[in-house]
Amino acid sequence: MVSWPHWLVTIIIVPLVGAVLTPVVGRGRPKVIPIWALGIMTATSLAALMLIIRVAQEGPFSYLVGGWARPYGIELHFDEFSASVGIICLVGWLALLFSYHYVAETIPARRVPYFYTLVLLNLTGMIGFVVTGDLFNLFVFLEILSLSAYALVAVSGEHIAEMAAFKYLVMGAVSSIVVLLSIGLLYSVTGSLNMADIASRLAGVEQRLPVMLALAGLAMSFMVKAALFPLHIWLPDAHSIAPSPVSAILSGLVVKVGVFGLLRVYQIFYGAGTYDLTGLNTALVWLGAISIVMGAFFAIFQEDIKMMLAYSTISNIGYIVMGLGLASQYSLIGATVHIFNHALIKGTLFLAAGAIIHKTGYRTLTDLRGVGKAMPVTCMAVSIGAISIVGIPPTAGFLCKWYIALGAFQAGKPAFGIALIFGALFIFIYYIRMVNSFYFQKPTHPEILEVGEAPLSMLIPILVLATLCLVMGILGRIPISFIEPAVIRMLGPFGG
Amino acid sequence: MLTALWNNLDYAAPMMLFLIGLYAVIAKDNLIKKFMGLNIMETAVFAFIMALGVVDGGSAPIIDHGAHAPFTNPIPQALILTGIVVALSTTALALSLIIRIYEQCGTIEGNELRELG
Amino acid sequence: MEVVDIRPILAPMLSLVCAGLIFLTGRQAFWRRMWSLLAAALKLGVVMSMLPGTLNGTIYVFKLTDFTPGIGLGFRVDALGMFFAIVSSTLWLLTTIYAIGYMEPEESKVRFFGFFALCVSTTVGIAFAENLLTLFLFYESLTIVTYPLVIHEETPAAFKAGKKYLVYTLIGGAFILLGTVLTYHTAGTLTLSKPGILTLANGTQTLTLLFVTLIAGFGVKAAIMPLHGWLPTAMAAPTPVSALLHAVAVVKAGAFGILRVIYNVFGVELLRQLNLTVWLAWLAAFTILTASFIALFQDNFKRRLAYSTVSQLSYIILGAALLTPMAAMAAIVHIANQAFAKITMFFVAGAIQRKTGKTSIREFAGIGYQMPYTMGAFTVAALSFVGVPLFAGFITKWYLSLGALEAGAWWFVVVMIASALLNAAYFLPIVYLAYFKAPPGTRFHVDEAPLTLLIPTVICALYVIVLGTTAEVPWMPLSLARTAVQFFFGT
Repeated sequence: MVSWPHWLVTIIIVPLVGAVLTPVVGRGRPKVIPIWALGIMTATSLAALMLIIRVAQEGPFSYLVGGWARPYGIELHFDEFSASVGIICLVGWLALLFSYHYVAETIPARRVPYFYTLVLLNLTGMIGFVVTGDLFNLFVFLEILSLSAYALVAVSGEHIAEMAAFKYLVMGAVSSIVVLLSIGLLYSVTGSLNMADIASRLAGVEQRLPVMLALAGLAMSFMVKAALFPLHIWLPDAHSIAPSPVSAILSGLVVKVGVFGLLRVYQIFYGAGTYDLTGLNTALVWLGAISIVMGAFFAIFQEDIKMMLAYSTISNIGYIVMGLGLASQYSLIGATVHIFNHALIKGTLFLAAGAIIHKTGYRTLTDLRGVGKAMPVTCMAVSIGAISIVGIPPTAGFLCKWYIALGAFQAGKPAFGIALIFGALFIFIYYIRMVNSFYFQKPTHPEILEVGEAPLSMLIPILVLATLCLVMGILGRIPISFIEPAVIRMLGPFGG
Repeated sequence: MLTALWNNLDYAAPMMLFLIGLYAVIAKDNLIKKFMGLNIMETAVFAFIMALGVVDGGSAPIIDHGAHAPFTNPIPQALILTGIVVALSTTALALSLIIRIYEQCGTIEGNELRELG
Repeated sequence: MEVVDIRPILAPMLSLVCAGLIFLTGRQAFWRRMWSLLAAALKLGVVMSMLPGTLNGTIYVFKLTDFTPGIGLGFRVDALGMFFAIVSSTLWLLTTIYAIGYMEPEESKVRFFGFFALCVSTTVGIAFAENLLTLFLFYESLTIVTYPLVIHEETPAAFKAGKKYLVYTLIGGAFILLGTVLTYHTAGTLTLSKPGILTLANGTQTLTLLFVTLIAGFGVKAAIMPLHGWLPTAMAAPTPVSALLHAVAVVKAGAFGILRVIYNVFGVELLRQLNLTVWLAWLAAFTILTASFIALFQDNFKRRLAYSTVSQLSYIILGAALLTPMAAMAAIVHIANQAFAKITMFFVAGAIQRKTGKTSIREFAGIGYQMPYTMGAFTVAALSFVGVPLFAGFITKWYLSLGALEAGAWWFVVVMIASALLNAAYFLPIVYLAYFKAPPGTRFHVDEAPLTLLIPTVICALYVIVLGTTAEVPWMPLSLARTAVQFFFGT
């Protein structure tokens, strides 16, 4: 039996090696590729599951790669927040399953192996990002996942895909550089790259200016990655043009990396304890609130369903960021749990939208009228996702609303709680348009009624995610009680 | 003020370079120029981090017969090596995207691309 | 005495399972009807089986799971919840029979009966909710599952009505959520098992804000003016839906929510000290009179009924706002009295529409010659609303007036009398028109609606008389209301 911490390396190494080997394994055997990719992700998921169980039982633990002691070596650190690997593996696995038929039919055959390589690399990057304990590795993993994401947006070869990918690349690359610059600044004042180490050394740093610059840089660039309004302009095109399983990954997981980065920044600075983060908090709360409203506002005018979903991601990121900015115990719990729940919900919606577009060939609300009768199961999943994202209990989306609103009162800023609750109504307007169009309106194209359900490889991921949207709403206490100790630990002396 | 700038030239110069790059990214319409701006920003950050590791009169941090303290800090150098690799792959990806865009749309001028919609 | 029992959750689950079965196998009419009727009957049985225990003061509880740490998804059957559950499950059975007949020529019946069952499932969930969050959960679900029913006809008018309905109720829901969050923040608990969880120590300002938020939230579905706008518009729905929306599920959910807020969240004692309910009582009185006035001028039968509903609902609110035991009893018992009488009227409206295609009151002249039983049932319901003794409505008016005097607010008695007159003014002309204004040459020729429509109508009408004559008989609704009131007022 390998000792426990080694599992921590496997969840990075296995998909990384798997990704690189995909084109080799698949040479001349195109049918093997998806199974290979699924196998790799299954192995990774099992390892991740064991790590999550362990962190639930024993609390955070670290692994020093190569055995070099902190701060010289590379440290992998697995805490409760790192349990996000669970959702990364889950959504990643389901998206790969969804791709089984989807990719074979939509992407040119010669690109298929590279598609799987890129997806696996992307997942590797995210897994690495959430488990690393070292700032520079954070940057490296950020780049792995960003680069693969840019390429994945372009992979479909559709008309404006490259343009969207380029726009995404430019904004993403600029923010990555700023991350690197900020890491350099932090290194210059603390002489360390290990996050925990930096946190403990920051308290003693006398020059505040570079530290504040680094904080601003990190916050800013993670906001770009998280597509917070007004830094969101890259998101709608990229998310709606990418192949649907990729959209699910991008929207459910990749934008969360930005939020997760913010969370790590907070961990460092709360850990340091001597920095006044009020300014950043205020900025985040306001930007979060504006994102909720603006995301919903733009979504109302969209006809393309994937475009609508993309804008709704901006709203939801707004929830999470607002929760972070409120910085009270409840709001942080709500925000972190919503990172998880939103991935489920948006995964459901994007995969279902993908199945619908794939089967019917249409993607606007007008064209898709009446599709609910043709694809009842998929459209039921869309309805569950819609109810969930609006936050009607007992679905997964409700928990975050409840906790962040409660957190707003706890933080003494009830106005934001009110904004959140009523902002959610705004979101409902466009989802009800979608449900109306799918179920209750006379078809624009009568032949749409002849379309059958998608193949099982697409249906199963959709159903699994939709079911989880309901189950995680009812069993909300499980993720909440899991994350609670981490939040309390993070807030530390500030604990509100 | 100027003296302070001069004394910290190793920090100030990369910052200037960084801002020039940022300007190019934001203001230039041509995709290649935009991307060159990005490359300038990357280089600026690399130079900045390299400057952090420099120790006056330090030697290369290689344990050798002739080696003597003080050593230059090796960590920034290692970091930048990785950073350059990352920047290189970004460049490769971006260039291939630009080529594809040119093949499909026949132009790489931002304003013309927007008109194509 | 609290007893853990599976029945509180069995009741909503039955309808939920029924809905699932309808969606799966409902394409065949037989199974659709079979499941609907079976579930309705079983559920009524389950609810009724708890009645003796509830009357003896036994409280059945069942905690499903912790929804979030500390707040369970729990069910709890107390007298007030029991009252609401009995009313809704009795009427579900009757409405199901009626709907089977009424919906015969309509499209999308699977969807209709499926969501119909879901609707009742959530209503019983509201009745049995152990805490405010569980209540909110079912309350919001109710909004969602009634939407497909409201827009059932899929006409532009139906979509408009559906949109209006959603906008009103979801904004209301947002207020409730806000209120719930604030309650949890102030009181640290959300349970509805005590007569009041807030105390004066929470600060008058917070409490006032909280009260306004919650009442505004629940007031949307309870159609307190000026929050009533959705209700007349929602008439675009098929008649069984209007019956269900207006008599049982939706509007009563709002009224029930207000009762819960007044009795279980704030508590009578605290509200007396805060002196907050006076304006609510006035608002209710205003609604009673204004809605009646508007009803006078409605020619569309269903719209007139809708405004009458708006007016009648405020009796419940007024009764609750007076904060005296007698008035509280009137408020609770009016849930049943209004439900049975109003559902009779809607059944009548539906029967006439299906049989003759008439929807406007002007055309009703002489209809009593053709549909005597139906119009007889209507007459009973109308007399009940006017408040004639021996009919259910009288009980409400009697206790409400006693309650008003108990509270020293005699002017509400005047409101009551004025409202009775107005009710007479807009209902009795219909009766008169039907029997005595027949066009010359009309023969007495019985040509009634089908039995599936007629039987539920007549049963409801008879029940209105039963409620009015046997109020003091044990096991009748009044005794249940008395048990509830004893708990809230601690006497």
